[in-house]
Amino acid sequence: MSQSTREQVMRHLETVTYLQPALHKPQQAPYPDEIDHALYRAYTRSAHDVGGEADVPIRWEEKQEEQWELNTFATCECLAWRGVWNAEERRRRQNVDLGQTQYLGLPYYGRWLLTAARILVDKQHVTLTELVNKIDEVKGRYEQG
Amino acid sequence: MSKVEHDLTHHAKKATGIGDPQCFRGEAGPAKFKVGDRVRVRNLPDLFYTRSQVYTRGAVGTVTEAVYESPAAEDEAWDNTDKPEWFYSIVFRQKELWPDYPDLYANDTVETELSERWLEPA
Amino acid sequence: MSNDHHHPPAPMVEEVSDFEVLEMAVRELAIEKGLFSADDHRRWTEYVHTLGPLPAARLVAKAWLDPEYKKLAVRDGVKASLDVGVDWINSPPTGFGTPSDYCNLRVLEDTPTVKHVVVCTLCSCYPRPILGQSPEWYRTPNYRRRLVRWPRQVLAEFGLQLDPDIEIRVADSNQKTRYIVLPVRPEGTDGWSEDQLAEIVTRDCLIGVAMPRPGITANAQRPVRPAVRPVHHDH
Repeated sequence: MSQSTREQVMRHLETVTYLQPALHKPQQAPYPDEIDHALYRAYTRSAHDVGGEADVPIRWEEKQEEQWELNTFATCECLAWRGVWNAEERRRRQNVDLGQTQYLGLPYYGRWLLTAARILVDKQHVTLTELVNKIDEVKGRYEQG
Repeated sequence: MSKVEHDLTHHAKKATGIGDPQCFRGEAGPAKFKVGDRVRVRNLPDLFYTRSQVYTRGAVGTVTEAVYESPAAEDEAWDNTDKPEWFYSIVFRQKELWPDYPDLYANDTVETELSERWLEPA
Repeated sequence: MSNDHHHPPAPMVEEVSDFEVLEMAVRELAIEKGLFSADDHRRWTEYVHTLGPLPAARLVAKAWLDPEYKKLAVRDGVKASLDVGVDWINSPPTGFGTPSDYCNLRVLEDTPTVKHVVVCTLCSCYPRPILGQSPEWYRTPNYRRRLVRWPRQVLAEFGLQLDPDIEIRVADSNQKTRYIVLPVRPEGTDGWSEDQLAEIVTRDCLIGVAMPRPGITANAQRPVRPAVRPVHHDH
């Protein structure tokens, strides 16, 4: 059975405790004079620009594609085909604007998808009210089976 | 409600049957650099967005080709395509980019593209 | 697509992911608002189903057999693609190329002393119209972080150990050019036909993390992360 809404809220608050900005500091939101050039550059960095960062070897894997991933790719390309955005706007939004925590924490096509949702609202094709209601409606279809 | 009107067809009108970046050909004026030129990557502020990688800043490389004209990524990322500029393919020695790169592999290189605003004569 | 194969009965709430819900919501809203049509989406999906590494493999095989074609491929990859059935501008449903891949293919010619390998350190730019969808490992921050700085270590993990006198040239696909590697034709392939040669030019060879070998017609065996509701490609 599904968790109750209150159980979900408590679980969420526990999960986000472990999400931290890249530089761990005991006091967050620092005083302005604590941000020197190096920290300014680090905090305003573009999350996508990872070339040359140190990392350890991992196991190289292939992955089957989910149906929703292909659908998301097609949606994003159709939005560009019909002029809602161009590919560079999409990359800026899904690789940089969303911030480092989401950039590294979400699946590849999860970022594409959230960005597609966001562009509809940002460019005023859809209100956030419409988007939220649509998500709730789609969820309801599954809940009713 | 106030809604900004965009011409959703502006790119299709320009690029259909032609392609991108081909549709910007001839719009950037004369290329400032030529094949074989030694160039240094400028350390411009990289606020909000760029596709000029941080690892290239301040490094010296060699132009292998003036590849195409296009709006810079920094402009196109906000759908501004008014000022195309030249893009160059630049080869860097690995040793120039990474001081700890082993001398044994001194021939190794990286090739990548940078737009004209990022380059100055070395 | 979703009609061609068996689906389990309507899933319970736990069985549908947040991504699946959001995907359906976004697609339906975009269509309802007339931003694109259901037919656009279907055509794009069908176009993606036609893509794969075979045209790029054939381009390499042709270049091995025909020195004039090789010159054309290195000079003008987009034009050379026409001979293997890929029109970068008109094959996609847009008529102006794919929005994310543009129309500027560059064919990187390996020699006995230069080996190319491709990465996109900023995202995962990849020549989809001639090579299909990128593998998951190519999209990982790990590959993107390390290949550009420690290419010999990463290539060794892929099974490629190269002599120090060979120049490794990493192509970082960061703007509008897309790259494929044209490897050196391997020994033991004298007299082979174009079809035979194309078979040994795998996707990994075209990215540059493998070299073609007689008898090797598939990418190296790697673990495959299964999908919950996978796409079924027909090819």
